[in-house]
Amino acid sequence: MRYALRMERLTARKIEQTRVKQDRLGARDEDDYGLVLPPASFKVELPVRDATGQWSGPRAWAANFRWLMENHPCYIDPDDAIAGRWMFMLSRMRLGYQLSRSNFAFDYSHLEPLQKKYDITTGIGKDAHFAPDYQIGLDLGWGGLLEKVRAVRLKFSAGGEDAAYSVELMDAEEQAILGVQAWMRRLGAAAADRTMTEEDPERRANLEEMARICLKLVDRPPETLREAVQWIAVFNMASRTYNRDGAGGQLDELLRPYYVRDIAAGLITDEDAEFYCFCLLLNDPHYYQIGGPAADGTDQTSRMSYIILEAASKLKSSCNLTIRVWDGMDRALYRRGVEILLANRLGYPRFSGDKALVEGFMKNGYSAELARQRIAVGCNWMSLPGLEYTLNDVVKINIAKVFEVAFAESASWEELEANYRKHFAAAVKVTAEGIDFHLDHQYLNEPELMLNLLSHGPIEKGLDVSHGGATYYNMAIDGAGLAVVADSFGAIEQRVVDEKALSFAEVKDAVASNFEGDAGERTRKMLDSAGRYGAGGTRADAWAVKLTEILDGEIAGHTTPHGFKLIPGWFTWADTLRFGRAVGATPNGRRAGEPISHGANPLPGFRKDGALTAMAAAIASVQPGYGNTAPWQLEVDIGLADDERAVEKLMALMDGHFALGGTLININVVDAEKILEADRDPSKYPDLVVRVTGFTAYFNSLSPAFRQLVVKRLIREAV
Amino acid sequence: MNGVVFDIKRGCVKDGPGLRTSVFMKGCPLKCVWCHNPESQSPAIQRAVATDEVCGREMSVEEVMGEVRRDKVFYSASGGGATFTGGEPTMQFDFLMALCGAAKAEGIHVAVDTCGFAPRECFAALLPCVDLFLYDLKCMDAARHLEFTGVPNGRIIGNLEFLDSAGAKFWIRCPLVPGLNDSDADLAALRDFTRGLRNMEKLEICPYHPLGLEKCAKFGLSPRYAGMSQPTAADLARYNAFLRPREGCAPARPQAMNAPAGRTATGKECYAI
Repeated sequence: MRYALRMERLTARKIEQTRVKQDRLGARDEDDYGLVLPPASFKVELPVRDATGQWSGPRAWAANFRWLMENHPCYIDPDDAIAGRWMFMLSRMRLGYQLSRSNFAFDYSHLEPLQKKYDITTGIGKDAHFAPDYQIGLDLGWGGLLEKVRAVRLKFSAGGEDAAYSVELMDAEEQAILGVQAWMRRLGAAAADRTMTEEDPERRANLEEMARICLKLVDRPPETLREAVQWIAVFNMASRTYNRDGAGGQLDELLRPYYVRDIAAGLITDEDAEFYCFCLLLNDPHYYQIGGPAADGTDQTSRMSYIILEAASKLKSSCNLTIRVWDGMDRALYRRGVEILLANRLGYPRFSGDKALVEGFMKNGYSAELARQRIAVGCNWMSLPGLEYTLNDVVKINIAKVFEVAFAESASWEELEANYRKHFAAAVKVTAEGIDFHLDHQYLNEPELMLNLLSHGPIEKGLDVSHGGATYYNMAIDGAGLAVVADSFGAIEQRVVDEKALSFAEVKDAVASNFEGDAGERTRKMLDSAGRYGAGGTRADAWAVKLTEILDGEIAGHTTPHGFKLIPGWFTWADTLRFGRAVGATPNGRRAGEPISHGANPLPGFRKDGALTAMAAAIASVQPGYGNTAPWQLEVDIGLADDERAVEKLMALMDGHFALGGTLININVVDAEKILEADRDPSKYPDLVVRVTGFTAYFNSLSPAFRQLVVKRLIREAV
Repeated sequence: MNGVVFDIKRGCVKDGPGLRTSVFMKGCPLKCVWCHNPESQSPAIQRAVATDEVCGREMSVEEVMGEVRRDKVFYSASGGGATFTGGEPTMQFDFLMALCGAAKAEGIHVAVDTCGFAPRECFAALLPCVDLFLYDLKCMDAARHLEFTGVPNGRIIGNLEFLDSAGAKFWIRCPLVPGLNDSDADLAALRDFTRGLRNMEKLEICPYHPLGLEKCAKFGLSPRYAGMSQPTAADLARYNAFLRPREGCAPARPQAMNAPAGRTATGKECYAI
């Protein structure tokens, strides 16, 4: 227990930092990210901005990023194994930044009418959301990356006009690296300075080692486990600072060689290794996968996987670790993950289903070997580290809006499906055109200066990863609002067609008036109480499957007009409120403006018994099945955690879901009373971490409306 | 063949081992004062007083099996299966036999939750197609059993001894209500009796919960007893002290405030996990 006290102090500091963020920034409805605030006196003075507060292109991004890195405050904690915390997001410093709509220097107003009509989240101008291959950086170090970039620049500098962009990009990459190196040098110096005032001998020794490592890593690649986690953390912090990127990698495999070498050389114990991992996970809640099959189909679980898992267990903070569940796995790792999930009640680890992911991805024409390497490194998403560009989780079609358009146009039940199909196809078409527009222009708008460095191709080819640099382009389109639309179709079919209890016109009138008056409310109740998606065997269940077929039919196996592959998924991220505001009343009894359903989940109240087997089976039945996910977001009451066989039962539930085709499970084990109390007074539980969706967050950092998303999922279960 | 079913709950974790689908069959020969599902006592289909809610619907064996089949993948992953409960499932004996036979034929683990008040032949006939009995034992004292449930306990105890001697697997489930059937003498009698059973796998305590009273009001039924209280933490500790030493006895726990989903007729919580 050598590190227990240090872990405790680090965790306490993180909670305090979260409180300060909350006080200064107010509610932030997204991931915790691990950032801390800069000193109040710190002034950001970016060198490049135009009159409207914007900048674009490699040169401008590089100059601004380099300035930020060269001036970035150096956070040093003498208890930490890692130097530094990140404090800024350059990509959000452009004037008028919105999470839902990126600044984009190019005019796509020709696409906007239809994008608005179908409430499409276009992804145009969105950054990151694909995975780096850390191995490139761990092998080369910043010095090696710099050499590589300079060599490529030299090659292109003889290329004249045609190579002008490549030269500019390589120049920008060089500036970015120099910025990071400058920060590392300063981190090393700051750690060394801090030793002067540190009286505790153990902490002083730690600071000396921290300083040594930072200075070494300015140029050279890491050689020990502690150096490797410091390298990864610096890349993460720099990449976050650049554009919020949060994709991780197969962490156990990345760290294993260093661990094996250090242990063999007698440099560290397992306890040391666990502490280093603890510090890495504390530094930033990047999405890492552990376990799962290697490319050749052998199990990747190692001692390192367990050490990372135990480190996460001790973390007691926001964390996004995923265990890949597969037939050939070490079940003990899986079991330990479930035990931690139930015991800690912090919403992690998560679990991904290898079988459906691999078989699904192969349907896009890829090999099993490649499919196995496509790992869980994002909120809802999988990616091939260093090989793929995807726009994962940032391109969404609000199918509740598509339904609204189709319903308004339909005079009878018979017309409704055809109208939905027609408008959904139109929505996909304009979404795909938007993706092409992004791929055509993003390299000029915001090149991926950090992620390019850890990708196979962009540097070698002198092309941004968004513009020909990547090996594969698998562009994600997610549908949002599945349960609302399935229940709407189902309610009309049941009440109007099957039972003839209502006429189609009555439903239309009631929906158009937002269920106004007593008659409207009566109609609403009838529609609301129809059999829901998730109950099993209802009309709505059949519609959910059909909507998935329609989604696949328009997206899977298709390409954008410019020929980039598309892959479908069902996921709303945490945008159920925003999507809901755009949609009027719907025939499932939902009033205008109310949130839409979450991901592939059925709506609360989908069955009187709230049966989780029913939920598991339903969500498995709507998997698009091409390697992207339709995650199951599950809230489990602590009642289960008290059951003596809870671990087995939860594993059985997950095994069943994966056997039926499930891809990703996000679970909160919750104490409903505690959450309700924390909702009334968030300051009461500053350490309460919940899984909002693919990400976890401190509950008290969420806005009241956002907290309701979590609260409502609980209440449905209460008797 | 058809029967009257008043609910089918999926994903139950407290009605036998693993993840289970519980089929609630209507009608019960007992009228327990603490009953959690008073609307299940009458074999007839009933309607709630103020709302449109209907309790009970006629279903065929195939319809019920259609629901039961949905979670087959979870049964095999968890060692779960189907639980036929009620009401008292033996009240619809032919229907129960058909369901047990159908489930068994498909390799589904079958549990029958029973109050034990049925002719001996029923249990003899069920033996080959039931994997586990969940057997309610409400009070060892004959007079109070009659008072609280409306029937004497001789037949119930006799059937249990029959199942035990026939080698059937069973769990005993005992609803405990403070002041009614939870005295030290009651607990001692229960402990002593169950110690003599060879094939009991588990003894479960089901602490009283007043859910049934609300349902009485909803369906216009008048409760025979009012003012029953939930066991306190001290009561639960006492139950455990008496009964826990017996191997296989599940500890009594307070009812969770936000326990999701419903509860079985015997008052056991049925978490939707």
